[in-house]
Amino acid sequence: MNKASVLPSPRRIMSRRAIGVLLAVLILLLLTSYTLPTFLVNNLIRAFLFAAVALTVDLLWGFTGILTFGQSAFFGIGAYAAGLAFHHYGFSLLTAVLALTGGLAVSWIVSRIVSWLAFYSGASPLYASVVTLVLPIVLVQAIYSGGVFTGSSSGLSGFESFDLSLEIWYLISGIFLIAMTLGAWLFVRSDAGQLLVAIRENESRCEYLGIDVACMKTRLMGIAALIAAMAGFLFACVQMVVAPEYAGFVFGTELVIWVALGGRGTLFGPVIGTILIDVGSAYLSGDMPYLWKLLIGTAFVLVIVVLPRGLMPLLTGALRGSRLRTATPAPQQLEEAAPQPFQANHPFALVLDGVAKHFGSLPVLNGITFSVRPGELLSIVGPNGAGKTTLMRCISDGAESSSGTVQVNGFPTHSLAPDQCVALGIGRKFQTAITFDSLTVAQALRIARTRIQKPDRWASSPVLALPKAALDVLRATGLDQELERECRILSHGKKQALELAMVLSLEPRVLLLDEPTAGLTKAERTLIGSILVDLSSKYGLCLLLVEHDLDFVRAISSRIVVLHQGKIVMDGSVDEVVSSEIVRSVYAGSNHIQVEPS
Amino acid sequence: MSTTAAMLAVRGVDSGYGAAMVLKELDLSLQAGEILAILGKNGMGKSTLLKTLMGFIRPRQGEISFFGEVTAKWSTDRIARHRVAYIPQEKALFQDLTVRDNLVLALEHDKDFAVRFAVIASHFPFLQERMIQKAGTLSGGEQKMLLVARALICRPRLILIDEITEGMQPSVIERLIGILRHEREQFGTALLVVEQNVHFALAVADRYAVLELGRIVDTSSTTDEDAQARITRHLAV
Repeated sequence: MNKASVLPSPRRIMSRRAIGVLLAVLILLLLTSYTLPTFLVNNLIRAFLFAAVALTVDLLWGFTGILTFGQSAFFGIGAYAAGLAFHHYGFSLLTAVLALTGGLAVSWIVSRIVSWLAFYSGASPLYASVVTLVLPIVLVQAIYSGGVFTGSSSGLSGFESFDLSLEIWYLISGIFLIAMTLGAWLFVRSDAGQLLVAIRENESRCEYLGIDVACMKTRLMGIAALIAAMAGFLFACVQMVVAPEYAGFVFGTELVIWVALGGRGTLFGPVIGTILIDVGSAYLSGDMPYLWKLLIGTAFVLVIVVLPRGLMPLLTGALRGSRLRTATPAPQQLEEAAPQPFQANHPFALVLDGVAKHFGSLPVLNGITFSVRPGELLSIVGPNGAGKTTLMRCISDGAESSSGTVQVNGFPTHSLAPDQCVALGIGRKFQTAITFDSLTVAQALRIARTRIQKPDRWASSPVLALPKAALDVLRATGLDQELERECRILSHGKKQALELAMVLSLEPRVLLLDEPTAGLTKAERTLIGSILVDLSSKYGLCLLLVEHDLDFVRAISSRIVVLHQGKIVMDGSVDEVVSSEIVRSVYAGSNHIQVEPS
Repeated sequence: MSTTAAMLAVRGVDSGYGAAMVLKELDLSLQAGEILAILGKNGMGKSTLLKTLMGFIRPRQGEISFFGEVTAKWSTDRIARHRVAYIPQEKALFQDLTVRDNLVLALEHDKDFAVRFAVIASHFPFLQERMIQKAGTLSGGEQKMLLVARALICRPRLILIDEITEGMQPSVIERLIGILRHEREQFGTALLVVEQNVHFALAVADRYAVLELGRIVDTSSTTDEDAQARITRHLAV
């Protein structure tokens, strides 16, 4: 049984202070609903609904790194669902329910289409921005083309809606905004919420940790679309007017600007920023009809120049320092996780048959054929540029090789994405250590465990359960004492060790290690070497190691393959290879200097 | 500028990230044509020292001077224009530019390229065949060599090198010792070499300094008989 299932209960979802703030905000909302002037209440209702949409932009852009201009389109879909239904079929409770259901359903379907177009494997972040930029343009064109049915450029107005007072609408929209903000705040502080930051920091590392990044982005886009559509529906109900401007690209861009001004990646910043700017604009446009746009524009430029991280960090700066995210790292307790059950069903953990790779006309790998049994520690050596890292890529990404086949535990990896290869049992440590800069060591390790141990969506666990090998690496390098430290301020060597621990946390069956001890001291290398030997000899893992330190290779390997100019020139026992003339001539040099004092 | 001034003088420097102070009251000096190796365990401040010297991190207190000029408020590009080259630990190349463009960008005048490259090509012959290849498509070790080539081609007075041997094959490391010492002898270049590879450090440097928790705890000549034993003791877990 996995120890994780008997861990102490997660930290309390909300602290007393947070509950106090929430109650104070609710009381303030209630008090102001009947005391504020009607004009202000009217504008605040609109601002609350816009702020809820800005919140979704912050989740997508601020936290996950998806710069989206398309949230206005989802707002527009929700608004037009109400407008079209009430205008053409008359208002009734049934119509309202059907309109809301239809609006949400269309938004969700559109979000799936956008995600399918924007988040395919290998798509750049810019591509997602372009797709979301096109969406509101297409939607507005569709509204223009709708003629009388959609009201074209004039929109639809004069339809009936719920017979509620302005004060009640104020409370409804305020509670909607508070609920959405609270939900988002709880999620981004939870263990699962850290995944958003991890995707923003390094999508590729996430994929190689077995996380289906496209699926996560698609789900997030879907939820963001539903919230925006709900806000749009409420907007149409209260304003009793819908217009193409609310679905357009200008509104989509304004949302991005409000988030940037409020403070990207802070949740509360975009909410407060949107309310201030929208209400401020309403007053200024009345009092100074010719000047207000100039004043707002000047304010935008000033804030961007003086406060490039937005208003929120200014408000909280004294308390929180210069961090982008809102979560406060809490002390973590390490525990050993019970190993995952594994049934070997193939005599070879890894089989390569005729693997080749070429970049255009330049061949990098040619006819690579070898097999590795469970429990073998195979080192791949060769001069710089021999194709060692490319070979690692071909094994860990099914779409990488130009020809030939790779089988992991008997399953072919052909055309499988990296996260699917991880599911087959592959774990890959990169040549250059890749971690998540703004996450802590503990958070990065928890991200690495996502595939095995689903993170809590609403709370963060005080206990981090890791397999023994990962714990050994943390203890050998002193990282177990730095669990709350942000990855960005770790030394290069410690980043290497952390990445190794992250990959070991995946409990892989085939471990690909590209210079795992680069940047570590001799003493640390020796410790890591013994951990790797244990992994192969005691736990039956298949290890592929790329290393230049021949003494390290000789000390821990059970077999060595020599790669030269993309071909295997030797495959043999440690003694055979190390003493061979080939290795001396093409690789080590006459008097290789890597022999370090014992 | 005084002709007797040290190439590099660091006096009482504190530096770090946020609340974490990594370097503490650090003193260091380097003369023209001298090679100093900085050794130490992980997280002791070796890379932070180089980043502070290059102006990427502002020191909290203390004084840094290059060639007798105090550089506390100098920007990184200004320090680089004073012919201080920095070879970072990361493969900090322009990945989408060709090998040639990466080298040309380091030069003040394009016209110097042919003459300077002839010297570089004698050190790293593979670069001649890869001139039009994008730097990002070179292997990890080849990118490291290109980083060295880019630093040398601008004929710096001082080179700051961060763990260059990482990812290099042993025969290239061996050659690199000769290349760096040749650079010093030919042009009087001073080198500050941060390393984990103790043998490389002792072979290339005149002097070593061991950093521990942001302070130098041991410094001596690399030719001292007990140098290796002392360093090994400091680097033991």
